[in-house]
Amino acid sequence: MNLPRHPGRAARAAVAVVAATLLLIVAACSDAGSPASTGDAKAGKIKIALSNSFIGNQWRVEMENVYKAACAMPPYVDEVECSVFNAGNDVSTQSRQISNLISQGVDAIVINAASTSGLNGVVQQACDRGIVVVSFDNTVDNKCGLTVNTDQIKFGQQLAQFIVDELGGQGNVVMVTGVAGTGADNDRNKGAKDVFAANPGIKVVATYTGMWDSATAQRNTSAQLPNLPKVDGVWVSGGTDGVIKAFAAANRPMPVVGGEAENGFRKFMAGLLTPKVKGMSIGQPPFLSVISLELARAVVKGEHPKESITIPFPVATSDNMVPGETVFPDLPDSFFADFTDSGPNAILVLCQEAATDGTPCPGKTLDVKLPS
Amino acid sequence: MRDALRRVSLGYLVLAATAVAYLVVYTSRLGRFPTSFDYLSILNTTLPLVFVAIGQSLVVLTGGIDLSVGGVVSLCVAVTAATASIPWIFAVLALGTACGALNGLVVAYGRIAPILTTLATLSIFSGLALRVLPAPGGSIPYPVRQVLTNPAAPTGLIWLGLAVAGWLVLRRTRFGMRVYAVGSDESSARAVGVPAAAVKLKVYALSGLCGALAAVFYVSTTTAGDANAGTPFILTSIASVVVGGVAFSGGRGSALGAVAGAVALTLVIDILFFAGIDPLYQSLFQGLFLVVAVLLGTVFVRRRRLS
Repeated sequence: MNLPRHPGRAARAAVAVVAATLLLIVAACSDAGSPASTGDAKAGKIKIALSNSFIGNQWRVEMENVYKAACAMPPYVDEVECSVFNAGNDVSTQSRQISNLISQGVDAIVINAASTSGLNGVVQQACDRGIVVVSFDNTVDNKCGLTVNTDQIKFGQQLAQFIVDELGGQGNVVMVTGVAGTGADNDRNKGAKDVFAANPGIKVVATYTGMWDSATAQRNTSAQLPNLPKVDGVWVSGGTDGVIKAFAAANRPMPVVGGEAENGFRKFMAGLLTPKVKGMSIGQPPFLSVISLELARAVVKGEHPKESITIPFPVATSDNMVPGETVFPDLPDSFFADFTDSGPNAILVLCQEAATDGTPCPGKTLDVKLPS
Repeated sequence: MRDALRRVSLGYLVLAATAVAYLVVYTSRLGRFPTSFDYLSILNTTLPLVFVAIGQSLVVLTGGIDLSVGGVVSLCVAVTAATASIPWIFAVLALGTACGALNGLVVAYGRIAPILTTLATLSIFSGLALRVLPAPGGSIPYPVRQVLTNPAAPTGLIWLGLAVAGWLVLRRTRFGMRVYAVGSDESSARAVGVPAAAVKLKVYALSGLCGALAAVFYVSTTTAGDANAGTPFILTSIASVVVGGVAFSGGRGSALGAVAGAVALTLVIDILFFAGIDPLYQSLFQGLFLVVAVLLGTVFVRRRRLS
C-alpha cells in the first residue's frame, strides 16, 4: 500500500498555493489599473485583433488569408495594426485570448467563435470596457457585440427551392448535413426541411452528416448509396465535391445538386470535370472576415453606426460559370471559390494570391462597400 | 532545501514555473503587472477544468481513466443552460453523479476495461446533450453567476478553496485510503478486505459529480450552454492529471497536483499569447510543454525512488 507518506505536506503546499493566489489578488486590487487604456490609440493606428477558433480547414485558412491580405493593403496598412490568434475548438482557450486582448487594450476584436454562446461572458467584459466587438460566421450571441453574417436559414431554403424547381416538385432527395450542435448547421437544415416539407411530391430518402468536409461527405455518401433508391436531388451543407465524386464512383445517374461553394463542385458545374453537374452553389464567403474588419474600423473611427450587417450570399448556378471569377481551374477542388465577390454590385474584389497566400493584391486599394 | 524540493510534488513546481513565466512575459509585453481583471478571468475560466481534473485524478488514482467526462460535462451544460433555474442545478449534480455511477457499475461489476466503458458512455452522454440542446443557447439565473463566478469579485476562490478542502478531508477518510490501496495493488487490497468494486463505483460517481460541478461553473462563466462544451475537457483533464504528477499506474499522486496542473495549463495559453508565438505553432508548444512536464515527472519519480 502506498499511502501518502507525509499527510501534512500536501496540506501545507495547498495552503501556500491559496495564500499566494490571495496575495496576488490583493496586490492586484491595490494597483487598480484599468486594463483597456485606449487613450492614445486615436492618434496613431487603431488596434484590431482577429480571434479565430479552429484553423484546420480550407475555409478558415482562406478567411485568415484574406484578412491578412486586407491588413497589408491600403487603406488598412496605414490605419490599422492587425493581429491574428487561433484558439482551436476550445472555448476556454478563446476566452483566455480575448481576456488577454482586453488587457492589451485593443480597440476592436473581430471574432469567429468556438461556440456561439460560450464567449458571452468575456465579450460582455470587452463591451463594458468600450472595445468594439464584431463577430462573423460562427457569431457570438451576446447582443452587446456587432455581427457580420449571412442568413443561414436562407442558405437552406434557397438551395432546397432550387432543387424543388429543377425537379418540378417531384422526386427523391438526399440531405447531407454539417457539424451537429452548431447554429449554422441547425439553421441550414431547418430552412431546407421547411421547403421540402411544403412540397408533398418531394421525398427525403436519407439524411446523414458530411461534417462540412469533402472526404467525410464522400465516404458517408459511398456508404449510403447501395441502400438508396433512385436519387433525383442532393442538398449538401458542405463537402459537395465529395458527394458528387461518390455518385460518379458508384456509376449512379447524377442528381441535381444544391451545395456549398467548393471550387471542385464549381468545376463539375462548369464542365471542367466530368460529369457535368446541374446545380446551384451558394457559399458562406471567407471575406466575411474582411467585412468585419472594415465594420470594426469604421465604428471605431465613428464613420459607421453601431449596427450589425447581414450580407447576401454570393450565388452561382451551372448556367453562369465564369473562369477566374466564380470558378478557378488552377486552384484545388477543396478551395472555396467565393473568396471574392463578383458582378457589378460586388462588396469587395480580391485577387487569387490574397486567398492562397495572404499576400496583398499588387498595387490595389481595397474598397469595401458595407451594405446598408 | 534540496530535500524539501524533492518532496514537493511535480504539479506545484510546474505551476510555480508557469506562474513566474506568465508574470515575466506579461510585464515585459505590457510594461505593467497583471491587474485584478487578469487574475479574475484566469480564475473563472480555469474553474471548470479544475473540477474535471479533480474527478479525473480520483479515477486515475484507482488505475482507471474516465473519457466520458467530456460527455458528462456536455450533458450537464446542456441541461443547466436549457432549464436555467436554481432547483435544476441540484438535479444536474444528481444527473452527473448518476452518469458517473453508471460508468462505475460497468467498470466495477461488469469488469469491462475503463477505457472501453467510458469511450462508449462518452458517445451516449454527448448524444443526449445534443438531444437536450440542439443549438447553442440557454441561460443561467443572474444570482447564480454572481455567487459562482462573479466577474467583479473573486467568489471563485471560495469554491476553489472548498474543492481543495474537500479533497484534503476525503483522502483522510477510510474511503480515501482505500482509493490509494485499490490503485496501488488491487488484488492485495482485496486480500486485506478492501471492497474494491464499491470503491471504484464511488470514484466514478464522484468523477461524474465533478463533471456536473464543472458544467455549472462553465455555464456560469459563459452565461449560456453548448452541447459540445465538454469535448475539450477530455484531453485537458488528462493533461492536467499528467502534469500534476498523478501516476497512470494508479496509487500515486494527489488531486491537488491535478488542480495545479489545470491552472498551469491555462497559464501556458496566456504565456504563448503574450510571448507573441505564431498562432499556428501554439498547439505545438502546448504539446512540447506536456512532454517536458511528463519527462520531468519521470526523472523526479526515479530520483525519489533512488533516494
